[in-house]
Amino acid sequence: MKKFLLAASLLLTLTACTSPNAGGSSFPVKNIEFVAPASPGGGWDTTARAMQKTLDDEGIVKKPINIVNKPGGSGEVGWKYLKNKDAHTLAVNSSLLITNNLLGQSDLTYDDFTPIAILATEWEAVVVPKDSDIEKAEDLMTKLKKDPKSLKLGVAPGLGNDDHLSFVQAAKTYGVEVPKLDFLVYESGGDVATALLGNHIDAATMSVSEAKEQYKAGKVKILAVSSKERLEGLEKVPTWKEEGVDMSFPHWRGIMGPPDMSEEEIAFWDEKISEMVKTEAWKEILQNNEWEAYYKNSSETKKFLQEQNEMYKDLLNDSGLTE
Amino acid sequence: MGVDIQSLVDGLMTALQPTNLLWLAFGGFLGTVVGMLPGLGPATAVAVLIPITFGMDPTTALIMMVAIYSGAMYGGSRSSILLNTPGDGSAIAATFDGYPMAKKGQAGQALAMSAIASLIGGLIAVVGFVLLAAPLADFALKFGPAEYFLLMLFTLSAIVSLSMGNMTKGFISMSVGLLLSTVGIDLQSGVYRFTFGLPQLSEGIDFLVVIIGIYAVGEVLYNYLSIDKPLGKKKRVGEKWITKEQWKRSKWPMIRSGPLGFLIGVLPGAGGSIASMLSYTTERQLSKRSDQFGKGAIEGVAAPESANNAASVGAMIPLLTMGIPGSGTTAVMLGAVIMLGVKPGPLLFENDPNMVWSLVNSMFIGNILLVMINILLVGLFVKILDTPPKVLYPLILVLAFIGTFTLNYSIVDFYLLMIFGVIGLFMKMLKFPIAPLILALIVGGDMEQNFRKSLVASDGGLDIFFASPICIALIGLTILSVCYPLIVNGIKRKKMRTQHKEWDM
Repeated sequence: MKKFLLAASLLLTLTACTSPNAGGSSFPVKNIEFVAPASPGGGWDTTARAMQKTLDDEGIVKKPINIVNKPGGSGEVGWKYLKNKDAHTLAVNSSLLITNNLLGQSDLTYDDFTPIAILATEWEAVVVPKDSDIEKAEDLMTKLKKDPKSLKLGVAPGLGNDDHLSFVQAAKTYGVEVPKLDFLVYESGGDVATALLGNHIDAATMSVSEAKEQYKAGKVKILAVSSKERLEGLEKVPTWKEEGVDMSFPHWRGIMGPPDMSEEEIAFWDEKISEMVKTEAWKEILQNNEWEAYYKNSSETKKFLQEQNEMYKDLLNDSGLTE
Repeated sequence: MGVDIQSLVDGLMTALQPTNLLWLAFGGFLGTVVGMLPGLGPATAVAVLIPITFGMDPTTALIMMVAIYSGAMYGGSRSSILLNTPGDGSAIAATFDGYPMAKKGQAGQALAMSAIASLIGGLIAVVGFVLLAAPLADFALKFGPAEYFLLMLFTLSAIVSLSMGNMTKGFISMSVGLLLSTVGIDLQSGVYRFTFGLPQLSEGIDFLVVIIGIYAVGEVLYNYLSIDKPLGKKKRVGEKWITKEQWKRSKWPMIRSGPLGFLIGVLPGAGGSIASMLSYTTERQLSKRSDQFGKGAIEGVAAPESANNAASVGAMIPLLTMGIPGSGTTAVMLGAVIMLGVKPGPLLFENDPNMVWSLVNSMFIGNILLVMINILLVGLFVKILDTPPKVLYPLILVLAFIGTFTLNYSIVDFYLLMIFGVIGLFMKMLKFPIAPLILALIVGGDMEQNFRKSLVASDGGLDIFFASPICIALIGLTILSVCYPLIVNGIKRKKMRTQHKEWDM
């Protein structure tokens, strides 16, 4: 037993000494941590774990990667935690990083952190029950324009999120009085789907992945999707663009680092993540989760976040949530 | 859908493959152990153990997760009975009579009965699943916001009526629970309520923290008051198997509670807590010995245990037939199977019947395995009662803090845990019932949100609460549950008076 321990420790020291410093850079020097600012099971957590799995399985990052769940405050708890860390910690984000701030629910926003990458996106769908007399997005919007309270709309898990705002943007184009719309806010996308199947709401806005299986089973009709092109598996569903609304509305997820990361540290992640998104393993995870590739590197991400901030500012004003 | 005998048999063969059996037993055992720890309920148990399923065949992974789920349901009630500290909301009802039984030296019998009741409830529910999955999924869809609100109202009225003779204290306890449930972000308006600027409070106070605080920490503090007094007499563990008379008393309550729990489990969001509580109150009201409930009546252990296990099987129906998770635990499972490439949804029965039927068969076999594991372990579990308090209570405290941390990984929860521990101590000293507070906290948030969603849907009219037969039935049950104790008391008093008269004559 003693001999074994000795051998094992020798082996450990040896590997530690010989491990190459990739590209001559010294970063990273210790274990890496990915923060999922939510409980296990949701989109943020899945994103973090998918990255961990791919980077590790494919041998792209040699240092061990740990996932830390920090739920609370629609991401705020996790991002606050990230703010005081060094460059070995990254956190998953989404548009909530921007909208929380615009809605006055958080002091933190996108320019408090170092943008690293946008990883993937989902698209939004507007859905009605299968026996609804509404056949097209235009029918729905005409009804709402005549009387914004005539239809009850389902959304989850809160107003001001992408599900809600993508609908706001489309409705605005049709001239609907958006602040007067009746939204029933459910706890999760699953609850919205149940309410829709039971005809307790007239229409719902949700991500495509939440609607797709119900659609394939013929239980709901999808009126429009927010992508630029028609989606695989939903070839019969028009995009908003075809319905006369000039928009594409991604529900993206990305990753960011603490403030003040060095050029070298940012370059490290640009290299590793661009390598990761090219692997088959990553593509398979995207497909399983009904996500679409949407990779942007750190400089593209920086610009993208600024544009998004402007867009959300306008949308929240239109929705009546902010003034 | 429906029953396809061929698929059923194929599923049985898959479930009986040695690998699957092994994982089933292993998952059940792990679940039981994790479920026993305060605060580590089924959802956490499954979430913590998910990494084990990476790389498994999807069917095996799902079988393993279901085994952990049922194991945790069994385990949750172990600590309710032995230590008065439920592991989860659905195990609260097991404290009502399980703990008094343990105090009377009948711990072994309470444990055995709870295992048997879980088995019977689980088996009834699996049969129900095979025969009724499709129509029940349709039935569950009929529950809109108004129906959910009334179901929760009914549950609360049933709990308050439990504290018979002490209605006022029960009512106060429930009101505190309802007040606590308003903490956090309000979904309908997005407004933060009572969060004091702490983002950790934005999603509300986790009811599991309150359970661990009031029950586990509160119990430890309460016992600390008397820790230096010499033990009066050594607690006896008593028989490890139930008597014929106990079986006779519990038989019908178990058989009645199975279907009840199963039906409530099918409703997304209702779950084991409501199921076990309603079955307990129902049995108490039906029983001829209702005065013994709460003092160690064996039926009071059997009924809720049968119901909550049946509910956990019922909760699989919305997941498998519609791809909609009906509880926190099934939501975690949904995430895990998607990672494995399975697409749960309305088409799962058609696309992957073998997986569904292996799962159903595994639930059946799993229940039998679990009852064997648990009965074998009765002897070991009851040893906990022999542990000297000076060792046991610090240990419970450690577990309480670990359990709390695994919920949200938040230090703020530690402060809450301690605050609720002290609240629990005072509630015990002043003899306030605890269950109404916890249950009100569990259902309060949903109840309010459903009430408000109903009003949005009806443009502000209250008529929506009378609009469907389900609503009317639930209103009827609510009125009955409030009035029944009054009527019974009235009759008793009359009887007593007549008896007195006879005495006088």
